[in-house]
Amino acid sequence: MPRFDLALMLHGQYHDWLVTGLFVSLKLAAVVFVFALPLAIAIALLRLAPLRVLRALGMVYVEGIRNVPLLAHLLFWYFGAPELLPDAVKERLYAGNFEFIAGAIALTLYTAAYMAEDIRSGIRAIPVVQFEAGRALGFGFLATMRRIVLPQALRITVPPLISQTLNLWKDTSIATVIGVAEMMYQAARVESASFRSAEAFAFATAAYLTVSLAITGLAAWYHRRFPVRTI
Amino acid sequence: MRNRLRPLLAAFFAAAALVSTAHADQLDDIRKKGEIVIGVLGTDEPNSFVDPASREIVGYEVDIAKAIAKKIGVKPVFKQLAVAARIPELQQGRVDVLAASLTHNKERESQVDFSLTTFVTGQKVLVKKSSGITDVPQLAGKKVLTVKGGTQEPNIRKAVPNVDVVTFETTQQAFLALQQGKGVGYVNDEASVVNDFAKLGPAKKDYTILPTNISTEPLALGLRKGEPALKAVVDSTLRELESSGEANKLFIKWYGPATKLQFDKRSFKIDSDKI
Amino acid sequence: MIDLIHTYWLYFLVGQYPNGPLGGLALTVLLAALALVLALPIGLLLGLARVSPFRAVRWPVTALVHVVRGIPLLMVIFWAYFFLPGVTGHQTGQFSTMLMALVVFDGVYLAEIVRAGIQGVPRGQFEAARALGLGYPRAMQRVILPQALRSMLPSLVNQFISTIKETSLGYIIGLTEASFIAAQINTQVFTRATQVYLLLGLTYFVLCFGLSRIAHLLERRLARRAPVRAARPSAAVPLANESNA
Repeated sequence: MPRFDLALMLHGQYHDWLVTGLFVSLKLAAVVFVFALPLAIAIALLRLAPLRVLRALGMVYVEGIRNVPLLAHLLFWYFGAPELLPDAVKERLYAGNFEFIAGAIALTLYTAAYMAEDIRSGIRAIPVVQFEAGRALGFGFLATMRRIVLPQALRITVPPLISQTLNLWKDTSIATVIGVAEMMYQAARVESASFRSAEAFAFATAAYLTVSLAITGLAAWYHRRFPVRTI
Repeated sequence: MRNRLRPLLAAFFAAAALVSTAHADQLDDIRKKGEIVIGVLGTDEPNSFVDPASREIVGYEVDIAKAIAKKIGVKPVFKQLAVAARIPELQQGRVDVLAASLTHNKERESQVDFSLTTFVTGQKVLVKKSSGITDVPQLAGKKVLTVKGGTQEPNIRKAVPNVDVVTFETTQQAFLALQQGKGVGYVNDEASVVNDFAKLGPAKKDYTILPTNISTEPLALGLRKGEPALKAVVDSTLRELESSGEANKLFIKWYGPATKLQFDKRSFKIDSDKI
Repeated sequence: MIDLIHTYWLYFLVGQYPNGPLGGLALTVLLAALALVLALPIGLLLGLARVSPFRAVRWPVTALVHVVRGIPLLMVIFWAYFFLPGVTGHQTGQFSTMLMALVVFDGVYLAEIVRAGIQGVPRGQFEAARALGLGYPRAMQRVILPQALRSMLPSLVNQFISTIKETSLGYIIGLTEASFIAAQINTQVFTRATQVYLLLGLTYFVLCFGLSRIAHLLERRLARRAPVRAARPSAAVPLANESNA
């Protein structure tokens, strides 16, 4: 019986595969975060807009995205949606690392939907007088949001946003189904090549846990350093 | 010595291992249960696939497995598996036999036992003519698509050292990705490649199968290590099928001139489990 | 798109049944329902452990919760897939593997919902129960839990929705649930990828959105029933209450 041999995963070819996977996972999470946050703010503002049509648009986005599993989103953006593009555009797109791009698109839209709801709750937690005062001073809707409400709201929203980031980190694992060479993909590849499932998955588990605990630690630190102030 | 478990750090798992290594012969278990669980892919036409009309699993390997079940005198139960799951499922006892386009190679001999070779094929690459690729070495630096967990990825990497491989959960996803242009080549067993090529219909003219085999793949049924009685029955059934001519008939039925693959005749016999 | 639905609707709905195991949308819903039902007692136990006055009970469970929530569900599924047979001594199929993984994963999330529910019951209730002479377990069983469970109902429905979405990961271990069947259909029709995956998304949407409306209704009815509830300010939970698989 093969003994559990962690050393196998700490140097050599399998180790390299696993570490590459870890970096791809981190890169994917970082890229998605950078794009999802502004999109989420936009959607949250959409849902609070004075115009009913805009509010409906925001709701359609959030409900449409959140009620479909991430796996289905990934499959759609990789196999489904790009086929509608004209051939020339498709060829240019596929020549690059399209697996990563499609994964990033699906994850960004998905994560933004959840973040938008948290941001919206954060905005609604700000007493409405702040918004009214801003309008009374002559600022338009967007300017009031940008200068007065959002800065206050985002501070409240940081803890839920950090937990969404945690979810994002874990969700990157599902990108394996469209061929993104992230951590789970590489762990499964190591397992097929070496038949050593315990070592490969132990490495992957440790990697995920380490980053998760770091993110959770960040949340705890933030909670202590910037406790929620009530006026 | 059974290789059913991968020992972990906890003593708990070691204890479980000790408990489960004490058991009777698998063939007796099968006879007692009255059924034999056969792991198939169900997605690899014509070895094993789901007939859309009857929604049943049929195919070359399915027929062979049914013959074995009949010989033992039990009911065959077919279980669909992913390519990457075949060996783990066999080792963990979730299936009794693998009839899942399993290649017999040296690396796997340490994990499972093989029956007599039931089919010999190579692995080939399917490309779009528009890619301008005419043979395997030209794939250097390009992206090829295949399935996770099989011999396809290691083989193509050995054949073309700096090829870029992207793998998917099933062979059909990989084939779909090729059609959509997400890679230049699709790697699979020759029979599967020819079958997929045929399925293209009129679009066939835009594709070509590269002539070189990147490997030779003797396919065989997979058995758990240390089950001599079961292996004896399986091998003797296979020999009977061969000597009675039934094996050849099965080949013609699934791979012959009347099928999509249009192979004229077999290039092998079912008589050996040496590679 | 209509002819797609027309040809494949039965296969998408029930998979190979009765010529083979149950699959498709029916399998998705069955798996999710079973997982939630089985995860509930586990969630209850873990949730009670999380609020337990005994450190020896609280700490290991808290550690377990943090570990399970720190790794992706896919990781839990892979562990269950490779090592469950060794632990239970049983041969487990893809359905059982998926079920076990979901029960463990959801149990941990339910523990948090239970914890929030218990801590949402006004402390006065507990004190009154103790004052009446009920011991800790009886106070929990007779007074706190019934109130807590009622307020947890909308969260439970939300967790059911999450679980339905989580079943899609069965695709990766070859379980013939809805997404897997859709992918199989897609490879048979080749050129209609957009439509197939759109239909898949639509199906999930109808199912999950419908359930979320039910959760919404439940929330409104509960709010109407008990409009004055001095909710105890629970510690700000830095971790989300539901996974969003």
